[in-house]
Amino acid sequence: MSKAISRRDFLKVTGAVGAAGLLAACGGSSNSTAASSTASSAAAAESVAGLSTDPVTLTMSWWGGESRHNAYQDAIKAFSAEHSNITVNPTFAAWSGWEDTMSTKFAGGVAEDVCQINWNWLYNYSGNGQTFIDLNSVTDYLDLTQWDDAKLGACNVANAQQCVPISMTGRIFYWNMTTFNKAGITEVPKTLDDLMNAGKTFKEKLGDDYYPLHLGAYDRMILMVFYLESKYGKDWADPTTSTLNYTADEIAEGIDFIKSLVDGHVIMPLPTYYGANGDGATHQSNEWITGKIAGIFEWDSAASKYQDALDEDNKAGFTVGEEIKFGDYNGGFSKVSMGMAITKTCKNPAEAATLIEYLWNGDGAAIMGSECGVPASKAGLATAQAAGKINDLVAEANDKVMSFVSCQLDPLFESSDLKATGTGVYQEVFDTVDYDNASGADVVDTLLDGMSAVGYNV
Amino acid sequence: MKESKAPSLGRTPAQKFFDKWQGLFYLIPWIIGFVVFKAIPFGQSLYYSFTDMNFFNGIHEYGVMNYIEAFTDAKITKALITTFKYAFVTVPLKLIFALFIAYILNFKIACVNLFRTVYYIPSILGGSVAIAVLWKAVFRDDGLVNTIIRAVTFGNAQGPSWLSDPNYALWIICFLRIWQFGSAMVLFLAALKGVPADLYEAATIDGAGKWKQFFSITVPMITPIIFYNLVTQICQAFQEFNGPFIITNGGPRNSTTLISILVYNYAFKSNQMGMASALAWIMFVIVCILTIIAFTSQKKWVYYSDER
Repeated sequence: MSKAISRRDFLKVTGAVGAAGLLAACGGSSNSTAASSTASSAAAAESVAGLSTDPVTLTMSWWGGESRHNAYQDAIKAFSAEHSNITVNPTFAAWSGWEDTMSTKFAGGVAEDVCQINWNWLYNYSGNGQTFIDLNSVTDYLDLTQWDDAKLGACNVANAQQCVPISMTGRIFYWNMTTFNKAGITEVPKTLDDLMNAGKTFKEKLGDDYYPLHLGAYDRMILMVFYLESKYGKDWADPTTSTLNYTADEIAEGIDFIKSLVDGHVIMPLPTYYGANGDGATHQSNEWITGKIAGIFEWDSAASKYQDALDEDNKAGFTVGEEIKFGDYNGGFSKVSMGMAITKTCKNPAEAATLIEYLWNGDGAAIMGSECGVPASKAGLATAQAAGKINDLVAEANDKVMSFVSCQLDPLFESSDLKATGTGVYQEVFDTVDYDNASGADVVDTLLDGMSAVGYNV
Repeated sequence: MKESKAPSLGRTPAQKFFDKWQGLFYLIPWIIGFVVFKAIPFGQSLYYSFTDMNFFNGIHEYGVMNYIEAFTDAKITKALITTFKYAFVTVPLKLIFALFIAYILNFKIACVNLFRTVYYIPSILGGSVAIAVLWKAVFRDDGLVNTIIRAVTFGNAQGPSWLSDPNYALWIICFLRIWQFGSAMVLFLAALKGVPADLYEAATIDGAGKWKQFFSITVPMITPIIFYNLVTQICQAFQEFNGPFIITNGGPRNSTTLISILVYNYAFKSNQMGMASALAWIMFVIVCILTIIAFTSQKKWVYYSDER
């Protein structure tokens, strides 16, 4: 009997497999969820039920690094010891991919009860107040007076206090002075000339692989705005109307400023960085760890993450730098670093508010310390300071940022379509500059078109 | 042998009902899973594709605007072209490579089982995130490949920047898929073992050489498996996501942005489920067309033993 394959046998085997395979071909779209979470706003914010004495289970989510995870878990443990009927189930991970996960949860109405959120999420995912409760409805359990009005105001969207700010943040330079010293430079750069000279000196004394500063595409955009604000003394865009305050020529000038840093060997060309690290984070790159990249322009709350990543030879040289004044004005902006919100699907908002109160106004602040930046809550800051839990580097960086920056940030600046790694417009612009040796004038329309697409008035 | 008939006399109506429908009853878990996780999302995504459905803004517009944009937006058409390139490079190369290795492993050589296992390992590991991360490390500027290039040229040559050069990045992604040839190889190996030995004996007696035997006996006899592998590999290639997402995230400069990555970006980064659904349906239709072409063409090149 022949062992060869008959059509009948073949079809039996392939029929089911083929059908399943073809159906799976559209699997990418099968994650569709309900249109909007507006319908799930059953847990109304007007008034909330009081604290229960029955067992209550809350869910909570955050992103961060290892030390933040540990701090939150310790704080939750302490909270549960004080409130024995409340169990908190946490969900946490690193930032990468976190926004994609959370936005899907918000849309599906399955996000955790208490969420650590990014400031612009209020606009992106709860612009009509559809996702988070108004915290004014839980003031019996959460003392909002511990936050300045201005800081609270930044979290008031759609006439609802949708979150409380955990901390305020802005960008500042950090330097690895171990490498700077190797190049014969003993002072941190304080002017643009210092920066340009450092680039030249690094190239001459340490070689082509060493750079005084590294900026990814999004960092370049922030520094470009910082530069333009320093020079022209106006916000990047109006925070309420999202009207861009700069002309195409001015923006092209800003892009050319970034290009001059690449040309001057101050920052590494993006293709060089991608070749070594893909689109991986700077603090995880070999160049940062070993000191070949000797500077970053980062959030003030990121100090410990970058210092911890350095190898033993370089760790001691990690230094908070000075803000650089590129023009007549103090450029740069501060913003709510992150907030704490309660989702509308939360069935126990009173308990959720009690948890936030504990973490940021109460004893929990002594455990959280500056893991999420310097606490914005007055009571929380006092508690953390009394416990000696404010990291000196974070505090120094935060002081320098807050005493320098003078501009406001608009919520569209951080839109995912603009800043996303790999797909964002900012990356497209600065990739084009580096790959094609393009000028600001060549790429400014790409930036403006992208900004217009997310809602800017350009 | 006669089939035995189940006695129906004396059974209650409930028992008779159960006898009649018990097959369906056993299938209910699968049917529920299929309807909930496949059929409904399938239909729903078709509906969404004709809307401007956004996770947070809902639906405000109906029409074919997503499909029009898909074929007019430069970024999307580039991704479509890249997806075709990816499929047309990986599918033939993977099949040729799998057949070549299967042919060698069909010989009676020492440690053949060990080799079969070793060649199959990449397919077990292939879809994992860890392998994609490993691939990224191997092809980085100072990774294993460039280190070897420097070593064999005594430091005189520096390998290219595989991951940051748009001219190379897609090839690195393709190579990862081709490397995972194990499952296709196992099917080829089974098919090769099914080719009757007397055909080769007769051909040898008639003076046919190895090449002649391969192309005139082996290949025709295993065409059903070639066909099966071709169809399944086309389906899989058009759905590829893990490799380009983890290794290059669609970059550099969108050179590895396949349609599947755009579907993800539209759905979960931009929350534009309408556009994401339209792209998924375009991908589905493309795979259907290619599959229909393959099935239609099989009459001309696939040999089944029960047909003349």
